Amino acid sequence: MSVARATWDRAVARPGRSALVLACLLAFAVLWALAAHALWHSTVPGGLRLAHVDPREVFSARFLARSSSYERFLDIDALLGELTLVVVLALYARRGHRLMRESAAGRIGTGMMLGMLGFAVLWIAEIPFGLAAVWWERRHGISHQGYVASLLTSFLSLGAKFLFVSLALLVAMGLAGVLRRWWWALAAPVFAGLALLSSFLSVYLIPDTHPLHNPQTSADVRELARIEHVPGTRAEVQDVNRDTTAPNAESVGFGSTRRLILWNTLLDGRFPRAQVRVVTAHELGHIAHHHILKRVGWLALFLLPAAGLVALFTRRRGGLARPEAVPVALFVFVVLQLLTMPLTNIVSRHEEAEADWSALNATRDPAAARALFRNLAATSLANPNPPAWTYVLYQDHPTIVQRIAMVDAWQARPAR
Amino acid sequence: MNEHPVQLVVSDDLTRERLTVFFRALLAIPHFIWLFLWSIAALPAAIANWLATLARGRSPAALHRFLAAYVKYVTQFYAYLHLAANPYPPFDGQAGYPVDVIIAAPARQNRASVAFRVILLLPAALLVGALVGDPASSLNSGRGSFSFNAGLLPVAALLGWFAIMARGRMPHGLRDAAAYALSYGAQFWAYALLLTDRYPDSDPLKAVPGLPLRADPIHLDVEDELRRSRLTVFFRLLLAIPHLIWLQLWGILALLAAIVSWLATLFAGRSPAWAHRFLSAYLRYQFHVYAFLYLIANPFPGFVGKAGSYSLEIVVAARERQNRWKTGFRLILVLPALLLAGAYGGLSGLVALLGWFSSLARARMPRGLRNAGALALRYQAQAFGYLLLLTDAYPYGGPTRELAPASERESPADTSSPPSAPSAGAAPSAPATHPDVGLS
Repeated sequence: MSVARATWDRAVARPGRSALVLACLLAFAVLWALAAHALWHSTVPGGLRLAHVDPREVFSARFLARSSSYERFLDIDALLGELTLVVVLALYARRGHRLMRESAAGRIGTGMMLGMLGFAVLWIAEIPFGLAAVWWERRHGISHQGYVASLLTSFLSLGAKFLFVSLALLVAMGLAGVLRRWWWALAAPVFAGLALLSSFLSVYLIPDTHPLHNPQTSADVRELARIEHVPGTRAEVQDVNRDTTAPNAESVGFGSTRRLILWNTLLDGRFPRAQVRVVTAHELGHIAHHHILKRVGWLALFLLPAAGLVALFTRRRGGLARPEAVPVALFVFVVLQLLTMPLTNIVSRHEEAEADWSALNATRDPAAARALFRNLAATSLANPNPPAWTYVLYQDHPTIVQRIAMVDAWQARPAR
Repeated sequence: MNEHPVQLVVSDDLTRERLTVFFRALLAIPHFIWLFLWSIAALPAAIANWLATLARGRSPAALHRFLAAYVKYVTQFYAYLHLAANPYPPFDGQAGYPVDVIIAAPARQNRASVAFRVILLLPAALLVGALVGDPASSLNSGRGSFSFNAGLLPVAALLGWFAIMARGRMPHGLRDAAAYALSYGAQFWAYALLLTDRYPDSDPLKAVPGLPLRADPIHLDVEDELRRSRLTVFFRLLLAIPHLIWLQLWGILALLAAIVSWLATLFAGRSPAWAHRFLSAYLRYQFHVYAFLYLIANPFPGFVGKAGSYSLEIVVAARERQNRWKTGFRLILVLPALLLAGAYGGLSGLVALLGWFSSLARARMPRGLRNAGALALRYQAQAFGYLLLLTDAYPYGGPTRELAPASERESPADTSSPPSAPSAGAAPSAPATHPDVGLS
């Protein structure tokens, strides 16, 4: 914090300049708030009040106990994993620069290596927590994935992280070499642009997908896409049943690459057609309300102050232009990500609620929606009403109870 | 460290009789039959030797003599078959063949190593597959893919056959490459048959006596100190991903530059300076990445192929005039070199695999594996450099003393031969420290 303090002191020492800095900060804060307000806009009626739903009236006591026990273990496992992550990254921030001797590359190449090794160290530290989660999911019949397959999958996905961190450091360190202390001002928009590009292309990175062949579901997709004003949206099926029994769906891409991806576990007969229609309408709701683009917008809003803070905290190591600052940058960035996780979850829940509302409007089938949420909870052992701390830290969707309450609210809305 | 108890002796003068070379495989038929029969006898002898060595801690003299003769015979026959030697070999493995092997007298052996010999053999067996050839290996042609994985020795023999038909001589580099493979094969069989408990040494510098110290236009400068970081070794493949992507992108430009350079060299007799600079940097970078990926060097390489920036450096000489005929037909002339580069590619892949386990365990790369990998990379670099018109000097197929760091080149193992350019007929040389077991 002494660096921040010194910066502040210097700014205060020059009244004219400090006033300018303050004005800039104020203008930035106002612009930030305006942008956040625009992104926060939702089609869910503003005054909508969700009534209290007692989970005991919807689910059996046995299921509530089982799902609570199931999720408690996973949540504690995740929390311990994140604490370990912070400790390991803190150690890496202190000592990681010693690994510079393993590089013959220039400053950016060495920085890339240190960034990748940071993720490598994290991967090693998180192995026990990952395996514990697999064990627990297998024990409850949610996952079929073997331990070795799980390790191998996470190892291979580490390659994608290496690529990501290399590219990010190439941009950040390249800009830091030219712009010195102000690299972050340009880096944030560049990263947002890259995120936009990656969102656009993400559909091509999803494995094991094939076109939707079921004529009934295809017809439903076409009809709902027309109702939600996103006609022509293509639907694909992803085969995941080798690894999991949990059902899911997602919307990816935008513009010409927008797709609706349905997991084959959703289409294996456990979910009646009416419920699959609700899921489809929910995902089309994400597309209709441009949630993917909005996510990029939120990311840009997060990145600007985050990159500024990274720049501030890496000054003691000579700034991000120098490779020895990379372990510190990694630590600051990951800690910021963890600290802002509750905010990220608020945004995510807000968008999911809008997609639910959109699905109800499109299908006009509250009974199917209610049955779907019960079914989703049963098949994925989701705790319908999780404790507050896990709700804040990990719930990126409204709880099952909240979603059922929204169905009730939709039914109770004034008739149009 | 003491020299290996199994040493190759080469007194071959490289001259070959075209007639016997043309019919070499057919002439070898009696030896194939004899080898088959001898192998049947060697199997129970090996089992008896295993039991006796396990019990006594030393191989019985009679069994040792019989099995040593078998290893000598196999080596001599393989040398003949693969054109590393010219005369028809004897059927009893007697001493004096131009490519022979000296096996030390029986010595005490570690019983634990004897007991688990079959398991301990596995890594060496993989390397033997890459060097001497895997019986199951062949030209593999799959859907849209083609690979050649026959091993260094058969490929050297195949190329040597054509060279001999044309010139009546086995190229020195190909003969030494074959001798390296034969040396490792002999050490492997001696270890497998319990004639010694010294593990086969994959170091090409110790395999063939009298290696030259050449000054090729594309050569290797090794400054690696064998230390390896366990962390970067474990994640080596993933760490190389950004480099591999960058290499692909650079490769597209290099291809275009090589085409322009080919046309320019064809007309001007010399490649343009910019193309030589650009393609030299590409070649250097490519082999910085390969050296890192295959664990032949330790540090994370830079992204620009800067000269002198890496501990395993491909040194490319300044551009010089090139023969226009060789330039015009470069794509055809390079094919044999690419074939041998493919065989060396198999070797470097195995070096990476075995070196990965070894480096994780000991935080050091075994010197023999490092030097074997360096040999493979040096040949591949020369082959690609030849293809990219950086020189018109044909790649040298065998090991040379440049594979070791300069500070290690005058080690006792190498002092038997002074640095010299390869002569037409290699002087016969043999280590004097190992008494032969007197098989004749």
